Amino acid sequence: MVKKATVIKNKTGLHARPASDFVQAASKFESKIKIRRVDDEDEEADAKSIIFLLSLGLCQGEEVEIIAKGEDEQEAVDTLIALIDSGFGETEE
Amino acid sequence: MEKFQGNPVSNGIAVGEVYKYVPYQAVVEEATVGAEEVKAEIAKFDAAKAGAQKELEAIRANLEKNDPEKAKIFSAHLEILNDPALDDGVREKIEDDNFAVKWAIEKTFTKFIKMLSRVKDDLIRERIPDMQDVKGRLLRNCDGVAEVNLAALTKPVIVVAHDLFPSDTASLNRAMVKAIVTEVGGATSHTAIIARSYEIPALLGVTGAMDILKDDQVVAVDAVDGELVTDPDAETVAFYEEKARKNAIHVAETKKYLGVTPVTKDGVRIEVELNIASGSVQELENAKYTDGVGLFRSEFLYMGRTELPTEEEQVTIYKKVLTEYGDRPVILRTMDIGGDKKLDCMELPVEENPFLGNRAVRLSFTYPEIFKTQLRAALRAAVAGNLWVMFPMIGSMDDIRKAKGYVEECRQELAAEGVPYGEIKIGIMVEIPSIAMIADIAAKEVDFCSIGTNDLTQYSTAVDRMNPAVSKYYQTYHPALFRLIGHVVKSFNEAGKEVSVCGEMGGDKLAAAVLMGLGMRRLSMGASGLAQTKKMITHVTIPQVEEMARTVVNLPTAGDVEAYLKEALADVL
Repeated sequence: MVKKATVIKNKTGLHARPASDFVQAASKFESKIKIRRVDDEDEEADAKSIIFLLSLGLCQGEEVEIIAKGEDEQEAVDTLIALIDSGFGETEE
Repeated sequence: MEKFQGNPVSNGIAVGEVYKYVPYQAVVEEATVGAEEVKAEIAKFDAAKAGAQKELEAIRANLEKNDPEKAKIFSAHLEILNDPALDDGVREKIEDDNFAVKWAIEKTFTKFIKMLSRVKDDLIRERIPDMQDVKGRLLRNCDGVAEVNLAALTKPVIVVAHDLFPSDTASLNRAMVKAIVTEVGGATSHTAIIARSYEIPALLGVTGAMDILKDDQVVAVDAVDGELVTDPDAETVAFYEEKARKNAIHVAETKKYLGVTPVTKDGVRIEVELNIASGSVQELENAKYTDGVGLFRSEFLYMGRTELPTEEEQVTIYKKVLTEYGDRPVILRTMDIGGDKKLDCMELPVEENPFLGNRAVRLSFTYPEIFKTQLRAALRAAVAGNLWVMFPMIGSMDDIRKAKGYVEECRQELAAEGVPYGEIKIGIMVEIPSIAMIADIAAKEVDFCSIGTNDLTQYSTAVDRMNPAVSKYYQTYHPALFRLIGHVVKSFNEAGKEVSVCGEMGGDKLAAAVLMGLGMRRLSMGASGLAQTKKMITHVTIPQVEEMARTVVNLPTAGDVEAYLKEALADVL
């Protein structure tokens, strides 16, 4: 199992298009992947499910952790963390 | 004839016959199957899913050619259809609980919809109709029924429905839909987005519309003022047809000029700013077309509630507006309560003559704690952008000094508490003739001023603007006002301080030209005045408006001024 945390940088958070981009990227991997909100309640969601991801309602500035388990776990975590860190192409104002 | 209210989400007006649209509704009942049938139910699910997939891909492919924005909606539907969590959910319910396929779909979707409905974010909750749409598509495919939608309309109608799902609207024939009326739906719903993109007038949230209205009944839909009139008489139809015609012209103009940079024909850049009240999403939609907020009427934060807004609450709202505008200035007017604005959260004594009474900054001085809460919030929010704080109803230098004293007090308190705060500019609203007359002295004491033409007119002409008996004496084009404004503008320009106008005059294309002629380079107005004012600006030269200003201040009456301006600007407007 591989896991890594980061902070959501883009303004809209993991809603709308960024959420779709994220799910599409996650779905390319064989591993089971989860995304977890790092706070007191420790909510987590299947990273390949748009509905679960949306229901987490992750916003800009929140810390999240990606946890993957499977053959391509390292690559999955690296790719998804890089995607979040890229800000989903949203420009800073 | 009866009138009903609705939420106008897509501008326009139409009169036409009702067509009640009822999409296919699959009947779902609680049902289980025997263990031996589980395999067959799973196969039914696979078939329904494949059918839905095929339909969605076809719609999307069709839309991608000429409407890629709408195609995205169906990409989102495909995403939901293929959501592994949903898929697992349905399969588990069939395999483990022996649910019949339709019941399994119903239960699984309901569970997920519930989950989304608990999210606080409006944008996410607006995805619920997408889920219901996909659910409906799956259930219909289980029944083996072909899709029905709004593509089949044969005459132009007013479509009335409980709600419209994206699938219903994506294929609709624009030429056959005069207007859309639904019982539910908000400004960010799919129906609203689609209606706006097709430029179909839409009135949503008309409670009971499906029961009230009958097929082929004639109705007038006014999606400008949010009204629906049933069985309008000839006079009413004529009224709405005329209103529709005028509205269409206005909309076309707006579109053309809203986005242009306001530069005069001889190359002078005029700043066009926006007046806002609450900082709502709708208001801020115009942020991209404006050079700043020329008037943030903060008193609206105090109205329609039983408790005063807290410091934190105010910080959040001010920051939201400041962030939206970035480097561009946001002029926050401290609360202008009293006069015609009453509060539920504060009991104020009834006054004999409220417009000449304890209002605006005078009231702030009476309740320093409330005033300081607002000033602290403003100072704290200022870290997020370019904030200018403006005091209303300033009549003397004493008022200016006193208000500035409170700002300084708040600064020191925040510094002592170690709370971060930002730099602000301090200015005054010029709306009392006494301060206008000594604008040259005031300009030394403040960073900027903004002229509130409504109150300046009221106080200069001695007319209570709420009293209809004297309304004819309230003369916006009174030459005295242009003389007075000219003095203020000149004084501030000479002192090198910013001066703007934020009353109705700023968005009045005739008066705005004169203001420019008097030396004003910043005009602030409500959203509806933006396009026409920008149009005026781009059609005049500075020498031309200067000539107009010189003429106007020497005309004898308001009537003469208006007639002269209409003629002078006839070519431009």
